[in-house]
Amino acid sequence: MKDYKGQINSIENIAKDVVKITILSALNDCCPGQFISILCPNKIIRRPFSIADFNEKEKTITIFVKYKGEGTKYLQNLNVGDYINFIAPLGHGFKIENKKSLLIGAGIGIAPLLFLKKELDKNNIKNYLISGFKANDEVIKGSDETKIGGSVLDDIEKIIEDKKIELIYSCGPNTVLEKLSKIAKKNNIKTQVALEKVMACSMGVCKGCAIRLFRNNEIINKTVCHDGPVFDACEVMW
Amino acid sequence: MMSNTSNTINTILKNPHNGNSFELKSPLLCASGTFGYADEYEGLVDFNELGAIVTKGITLEKRPGNAGERIFECDFGLINRIGLENIGINDFINEKLPILKQKNINFILNIAGSTLEDYEKLSYIANENDIKALEVNVSCPNVKHGCLEFGLKPDLLFELVKKIRANYKGFLIVKLSPNTTDIKPLAQSAQSAGADCISAINTIRALGVKVNFENNKFNKKFVQGGLSGACIKPISLYMISQIKQVVVIPVIALGGIYNLNDLFEYISVGADAFQVGTANFLYPSIASDLAKALKDFMMKNGFSCFEELKKEILNG
Repeated sequence: MKDYKGQINSIENIAKDVVKITILSALNDCCPGQFISILCPNKIIRRPFSIADFNEKEKTITIFVKYKGEGTKYLQNLNVGDYINFIAPLGHGFKIENKKSLLIGAGIGIAPLLFLKKELDKNNIKNYLISGFKANDEVIKGSDETKIGGSVLDDIEKIIEDKKIELIYSCGPNTVLEKLSKIAKKNNIKTQVALEKVMACSMGVCKGCAIRLFRNNEIINKTVCHDGPVFDACEVMW
Repeated sequence: MMSNTSNTINTILKNPHNGNSFELKSPLLCASGTFGYADEYEGLVDFNELGAIVTKGITLEKRPGNAGERIFECDFGLINRIGLENIGINDFINEKLPILKQKNINFILNIAGSTLEDYEKLSYIANENDIKALEVNVSCPNVKHGCLEFGLKPDLLFELVKKIRANYKGFLIVKLSPNTTDIKPLAQSAQSAGADCISAINTIRALGVKVNFENNKFNKKFVQGGLSGACIKPISLYMISQIKQVVVIPVIALGGIYNLNDLFEYISVGADAFQVGTANFLYPSIASDLAKALKDFMMKNGFSCFEELKKEILNG
């Protein structure tokens, strides 16, 4: 984990309120599920973003920025060549296993899964990425299957069965992940979820983003920023 | 002003009543709750430039902290309601203390409790383990029992500090709360009960509110906790100016410290050292960066030591 100066390599609109930003920096290692924390002017805390891609050769990382407020507005208005300051790589990412995998992304939650898919493909691990969006203009490309409207979890049990899925990775709003955790428990299928929570320090220090896990019949505290953001869905106390 | 190239920002916090003192390589410290137990920041901070780090508030037993949302960002401020999540004194002594000692990091142990007995035990343990400096948290607004209760009643605070003083021989700092109409009697109580130093201020009670109109209805979110960050600086400046009217022991300033000017402003109301808090979240290296900036300023402007700079600001 280090403080980096990054230069905007490209910035483009990819969906309603979402821009894709590619950042050139000295960061030379990161894994899917990890995130970066960006300094935004006049804001009291940094803004965290999942890494959507990492190009080791070109030394670039990609993030998706969805408009939420002043911090994301600043990032969306950056130009190619502009500099930003970020801390990376943060958190613990997905634990990749050689198992037939289903990747489920809800909305902007697709970001870390695109990076994960690339890694799984690289390692010849069979996978299927399904993503869901509220409307046509919100679709972010790159999935094997895209659902528009409704829930990304509709028919998910059938997909698990048909494709003989052994492991699920997911990212999206808590409501979706909580529902998924119930499906995972019911089907006894290991599920890793990347969570999002407002965080102040982004390195496990302030305990501002603590969540509770139920593990070995004990309730334990973990921080989303440092211990996570990836957790076993069946352990999370939603 | 004297021109001297061997300028130094070393400073000694000293209680003129009993001679108790705490030596700092620099007047820049990291505030409790914003720096963990120090080892987390390795690689991002130059520990050589820091005066000391103040540990996360430690209680007798480990605490899980508050459930639900703990952070609320507002304009130029941050509201937190962590609720003193910490590993407890035993794990601190067994797991964190050896790391701090091995890395030779100067630190101040921050303690908090629900009862007088909690504080008595904690200070006894600190003394037994030869912990050089203790910051007594009597000002956390985020726990249901104790803590802030001791910090708002001068007679209760006197009794508490007196008991801690009896157990603890090291440098004793009392961290005061701004959640009071008059901070002066509290500062006096702390001093007369034997505190060596005062740190001020802890966070200010606040309520973060967010109202969104979505899907034809209003969604409301409330986060009640303690406010910190740039927006509390004027309040802290006022509180410290009040404290300095009634005590002679040193005062460590906290509240919205981001740049050199903030340090100068705090010196102008009588601060002897500084704790950087919320700013650590934005710039993890800010305290060590400020220490370097302070040194550079002193060198450029011919101040040979921090004491000289303080005098110049206070009397100039």
